[in-house]
Amino acid sequence: MSVIDLITRVDAICKKYDKYDVDKQKELNVSGDDAFARLYGVVEADLDAALEKSETAAGEKNRATAVAMNAEIRRTKARLLEELPKLQRLAFKKIKGLSKEELEARSDLVSALKDRIEAIPDGSTTATKKTGGGATSTSYTGIKIDSNSGGNFDNEYFQETQESNQFRQEYEMRRTKQASCFVIVLDQGLDVIAEGLDTLKNMAHDMNEELDRQVPMMDEIDEKVDKATSDLKNTNVRLKHTVTQCVEVRVTLVFKQLPQLYPL
Amino acid sequence: MAGSDPQKLMTKADKLTQLSLTRWSADWKNASVLYEQAANGFRVAKNYDKAKLAFEKASKGQEMLSSPWDAAKHMEAAAALAKELGNWSEVADFYRKASELYNECGRSQPASDALAKAARALEDAVPEDAVQLYIDACEILEEDGKEQMAFDLYRAATNVYIKLEKYTDAAAFLLRLGLAADKCNATNSQCKAYLGAIIVYLYAHDIKQAEKCYNDCSQIDAFLRSDQNRCASKLLSAYMEGDIEEIKRLSQSSTISNLDHMIIRIARKLPTGDISGLKMDAGKEDEPLDENDLT
Repeated sequence: MSVIDLITRVDAICKKYDKYDVDKQKELNVSGDDAFARLYGVVEADLDAALEKSETAAGEKNRATAVAMNAEIRRTKARLLEELPKLQRLAFKKIKGLSKEELEARSDLVSALKDRIEAIPDGSTTATKKTGGGATSTSYTGIKIDSNSGGNFDNEYFQETQESNQFRQEYEMRRTKQASCFVIVLDQGLDVIAEGLDTLKNMAHDMNEELDRQVPMMDEIDEKVDKATSDLKNTNVRLKHTVTQCVEVRVTLVFKQLPQLYPL
Repeated sequence: MAGSDPQKLMTKADKLTQLSLTRWSADWKNASVLYEQAANGFRVAKNYDKAKLAFEKASKGQEMLSSPWDAAKHMEAAAALAKELGNWSEVADFYRKASELYNECGRSQPASDALAKAARALEDAVPEDAVQLYIDACEILEEDGKEQMAFDLYRAATNVYIKLEKYTDAAAFLLRLGLAADKCNATNSQCKAYLGAIIVYLYAHDIKQAEKCYNDCSQIDAFLRSDQNRCASKLLSAYMEGDIEEIKRLSQSSTISNLDHMIIRIARKLPTGDISGLKMDAGKEDEPLDENDLT
């Protein structure tokens, strides 16, 4: 008989008599009976895969791919979170062969799993993180700081890489420059206005002083002109008198001479 | 009028005024009239020399007739003609005489005007005399309480001093301007005068004097509250720090550009001399004081 023949015969025999292998049966039974453990295993595997994906996404240079990956991660997280309540129910089920402590440990495991799922960084800003789990456990009393949206990416969960830092700096710079561009234009405009106003102010002051200077002069002129008008009026009246007198004299003379000129 | 006619008039008038055996008193009335006519005739004929002479005689005649106003007017005309001839001493003399005659009339404004005209005529030729004339003109106005009119004269005098490079005198005059402005409550002119004085001192590189001036002027409320005060303090602090850029920037500012044009010119030329020496001097000064303060 050749070796190959031997191997094939051994395989066939093993398969036939597998059901009599106690250890293996135990193993299968354990996983087969314990739905919790099965589900837990599945969830954990998914979690690990998501974590890996998030790491690649964080290091991704192309923003579009990063965004796509983050979206997928978020979808995975949501799905896993849905599975969690089922897992919780299974955790509380009493199973043969499990000790009480192990039962409690299972619920702890569930809550821990929940935290781990939520902790997967998916590039989104985080709202408040729930502090340490449910009623029972002492696990995970990590204090999370409320981080406001608006560009603050300073989470401990956000793994900062060189590129993301640079990108953030560029964003900040652009934002301030845009604001200061407006300010610079406004400043220049205001400077021009200020200069114009200075000139106007000085001119106004000078005009004020000049007018002040001219007020007493005007008063003098007023007086003198008044005097001149009254003199003129006087003179006019006298002149009129004189002229009327002259006319009278002339008329009387003419009348006197008339009979001589035109003797009847 | 022909050229001979004025001459004839002149000779006729002269005959009237000449005292002789036949004439016991001069007939100034007619003579003045004739002199005037003759002078006008000469002026038209552009015979300035004779015209000037005729005006002089006409003025004298009016004086005799106790009409100082007409006399002064003739004198001024004579002085104008002397200016045409470039006879500077005569210009000064005639204008002074005219000013005195105006004063006799009790009219201060025309008196100072006459002196101002003289000064303007002499600015280029004999600046020292011009300055003296300006000063006298200002005094006449101040006596009469008409300081407002004096501002222009003060400014003109300051300009002449700056041209003569007599900076202390110029600054002193600006301070007098400030005083006059204070009496009239012309705060803007006052502050401009003080700022101008400080700049003149700085231009003469007399920093101590400039600071002293600044301190004195700061006692005055109107100056303390003004733009010019701020400009002056900035200028002095820039000098103390030896900051040439700042000084140049300030001299381009609008506050200084609204001053008298001569002052603007010297302000643009600031800083003169070495400023960095100032910083060290300022430092050295402090130390001896500290040592002596042990008493």
